[in-house]
Amino acid sequence: MNKSFAIIAISSFSLLWSACHKPEENVDIPDPDNEVITTVKLTAVNAADATDVVSAQWKDLTPNDGNPDLSAATLTMKKNAVYNVTLQFLDETKTPVGNITEEITDRANYHLICYAPSSGLGLTVQRTDKDNNTPQMELGLAAKFTTTAAADGSLQVALHHQPSGKNGTDCAIGTTDADVTFTVKVQ
Amino acid sequence: MLLFVVAILRYSYLFITTNVKFFSAAMLCGIACVVSMHGTAQVCTYVISGSVTDEQNHPIIGAVVLVEDAPALGSVTDTGGHFHISEACSGHTYVLCRADGFTTGRAHLHVTGNSTVHFTLHTNQLAEVVINDVRTPQELHTLSATSLKGLERFQAMGKSLGDALKDLPGLNAIQTGPNISKPVIHGLHSNRVLLMNNGVRQEGQQWGSEHAPEIDPFVANRITVVKGAASVRYGADAIGGVVLLDPDPLPATKQVSGGVSLIGQSNGRMGNAAATVQGKTGDKGIAWRVQGSTKKAGNFSTPNYLMKNTGVEELNMSAHAGYKRKRWEAEAYFSRFQSKNGIFEGAHAGNITDLLAAIGRSRPLTESVFSYDIARSYQATVHNLAKLSGIYHFANEGHLEAIAARQADLREEYDVSLPYTKDPTLLSKPQVSFQLITHSAELMYVQPSHNGFSGNVGIAGNTQGNVFRGIRYLIPNFRTYSGGAFVIERYQRGKFTYEAGARYDYRWQRVYQRNPNTLATYNTTLTFANPTATAGVIWKAAKRLSVSANVGSAWRAPSVNELYIHGVHFSDASYQDGDSTLKAERAWNMAATLHYHTARLRTTVDVYRNQIGNFIYETPQSQPVTLLSGTFPAFQFTQHHVTISGVDGSLQYDVVKHVTLQSRATIVRGYNNTTQQWLIYMPADRYENGVVFNLHQLGKLNEPYLSVENVTTLRQTRVPQNLDYAAPPAGYSIFNASIGFSMHVRKKKVQADITAANITNVAYRDYLDKMRYYTDNIGLNFIVKTRINF
Repeated sequence: MNKSFAIIAISSFSLLWSACHKPEENVDIPDPDNEVITTVKLTAVNAADATDVVSAQWKDLTPNDGNPDLSAATLTMKKNAVYNVTLQFLDETKTPVGNITEEITDRANYHLICYAPSSGLGLTVQRTDKDNNTPQMELGLAAKFTTTAAADGSLQVALHHQPSGKNGTDCAIGTTDADVTFTVKVQ
Repeated sequence: MLLFVVAILRYSYLFITTNVKFFSAAMLCGIACVVSMHGTAQVCTYVISGSVTDEQNHPIIGAVVLVEDAPALGSVTDTGGHFHISEACSGHTYVLCRADGFTTGRAHLHVTGNSTVHFTLHTNQLAEVVINDVRTPQELHTLSATSLKGLERFQAMGKSLGDALKDLPGLNAIQTGPNISKPVIHGLHSNRVLLMNNGVRQEGQQWGSEHAPEIDPFVANRITVVKGAASVRYGADAIGGVVLLDPDPLPATKQVSGGVSLIGQSNGRMGNAAATVQGKTGDKGIAWRVQGSTKKAGNFSTPNYLMKNTGVEELNMSAHAGYKRKRWEAEAYFSRFQSKNGIFEGAHAGNITDLLAAIGRSRPLTESVFSYDIARSYQATVHNLAKLSGIYHFANEGHLEAIAARQADLREEYDVSLPYTKDPTLLSKPQVSFQLITHSAELMYVQPSHNGFSGNVGIAGNTQGNVFRGIRYLIPNFRTYSGGAFVIERYQRGKFTYEAGARYDYRWQRVYQRNPNTLATYNTTLTFANPTATAGVIWKAAKRLSVSANVGSAWRAPSVNELYIHGVHFSDASYQDGDSTLKAERAWNMAATLHYHTARLRTTVDVYRNQIGNFIYETPQSQPVTLLSGTFPAFQFTQHHVTISGVDGSLQYDVVKHVTLQSRATIVRGYNNTTQQWLIYMPADRYENGVVFNLHQLGKLNEPYLSVENVTTLRQTRVPQNLDYAAPPAGYSIFNASIGFSMHVRKKKVQADITAANITNVAYRDYLDKMRYYTDNIGLNFIVKTRINF
């Protein structure tokens, strides 16, 4: 009898004691090692003139609120030209700026970047880099942009995470980690 | 006992520190309730039913079952060995059972509700009577209730809770693929349905329709569903209804007994095993039971393809001990539930483009092979429950019940999209995790029946702390204190029983958040206080006909996701915004139930109308949200007035000896009165029709049966405009068949059932399955179930 009362007493007090801790008051701070993509940056170098370098960036430093900064999201290129383009994904909330492109390169076998110029825009895009799959498949962090006649339009750049089923061409596989649209002027 | 009172006072103290108003209100109500407790009376509306079998578990036909102190109340067992005594009075009594050639059985019964007694009579002298006295756990008698027991309970073994209940009239299941399902009562689910696990209100992250209940169905041998607003007894949130899960009573004898259940299933190559061992240390010692179960399934298969990453793993255990003296009883209970559920790979979507592409595919992009591996995305949950309870019996036949419990619920969700980092610890972390710790206590006085009056009065309280951790923000941390006081009274006179109840609840919630830019922590406090009431009547119109009606209310405070969610909800590729100014939902539910029982026909029909003011749901916004990861349709939580009404019923008819026809129907209509549109995600009409052939004996087999049933679900045509990604799927009709029996092998009872589900291998999609956008439901499935009792 006394023993069972003692057991109940101890259990009750331990239940109550644990009720007094309040871990919810310590709100977790965002993990410092977690990088978010804030910026997608295109840098185009004219294949015929290495001094002709143009760039554009799509940026959102508060990535959860739907208010991107599009002030520099316009890429202006010359007509009838070929550009070697590199694509960068950055985390500009960090100091120094986090370079997410490196992680995409490390996991190239599970990623594919797709470029979709708007119709009527004199622009064709060809991916020029490969991953480490066997056989190797396209990745898209580097690309060749070929312009024809002068026109204005847009270019959609999407980063697809393809943990299974990557075939190097199909953009519909997997999930989309970045999907931004640049304004493009060919003049 | 005193310690429980101390525990209650300690909780009350927590409330005092947070709100004096609540405490004084509870005290006032407490005094009022004590006053109303006098004038007690006996209620004589209860049903004592059960069965009589011999040692080989054969039904004994023609046995006489009597209530000892009211011999006019008697019944003779039918061809199945079943008896049914109506109009039994509450209180302590003995039930006698006599049959020629057998010793007389005598069972003590404390009638406080409809009760079940099972007699096993012996042909030899020195008889032993096995008694199973189970009090009906439902405490609002005028509300409709339906339970899963006996053979139906056995046939539901191995199913998840949502799946096990979905064949009951008035119930459906909301699914996320083949391995995650939740019960839907009268069209409502998640935080509008309460689960009472062994007397303790289950507290997890109920708000998510893909968050399955963290309960092992094997711990509950009796599952009762209370349909309708039952807040007066069970507290806030019971707008749709309550699911009561109760284990068998602890053993009364010293003899060690137990059972082993084994289930194998062809689809998903599922294996499921459960075992129970129980006993008692001595005649006046401690009764005990330990129980465990494990489950493993791999990729489930539709008629045309395997669904990649749809496996499930579970490992559950429980331990239960009880000690009884003349005046008091004490019990301790602990249970642990642990599961890992894969999320179908074809459903992963990064943004709306991915989602629409996935919906557009007739079959998943990546073909699958069979595997038990569960890769990202998956959910991992652990739920621990510790409970202490006590009962004190007063000399006046009334008793006091006290419960104190602690629950810890941990839910971790691992996304397929890994964060961009080189840190290996971060790469192995879940994207989101929720830890909810709840302490709860309840004290209830059950008054003795006297002069037609009976009832109960009680106070309940709980405190919860929720800690959210995640690579991305989803919901904030919070602390909640809530408490309530209730009283339910019944009066029985002649053919009528009247029931009325009232309750007052108070809820205090403080939400802790961090400013995303300055990282400074801040908090917001919300309080809710609401009364609820219920009133009902049962009319025993004739010996075989009874009608009951009930008007009840319920309320629900907005949940933390409805108030504060902000961001992308990846499971449906939508951008959701909470509204911190939401008010509590308030439901008024009117329901009527008709029971008609004859020797050959058993019918129950429920009709109801549930009006819910300030019903919280997501409405689409005209402008989508542009994020770096793409375009997302935006949804905002808002409140409207809605009406959910419906009818459901069941019918069993013994056409000729050995042949029974069974029919069940569930019809629900949900309408948004504010926007004048149908409500989204309401169950489609469902009809089940079947025939059962059963014998008493076939060679060495006892009670063999063969059943065939058809389940037909119509297409849901009552849907709102422009609110869904895809039109509701077509209706479907599937056939299931079962054969089963029990037998004795070396004096051990063995029960077996073989079922073929979806025999014609129909490819179908169900409107309430979230995965219907991406994949068909499972195809042909053979299930073998066995149970050995020792």
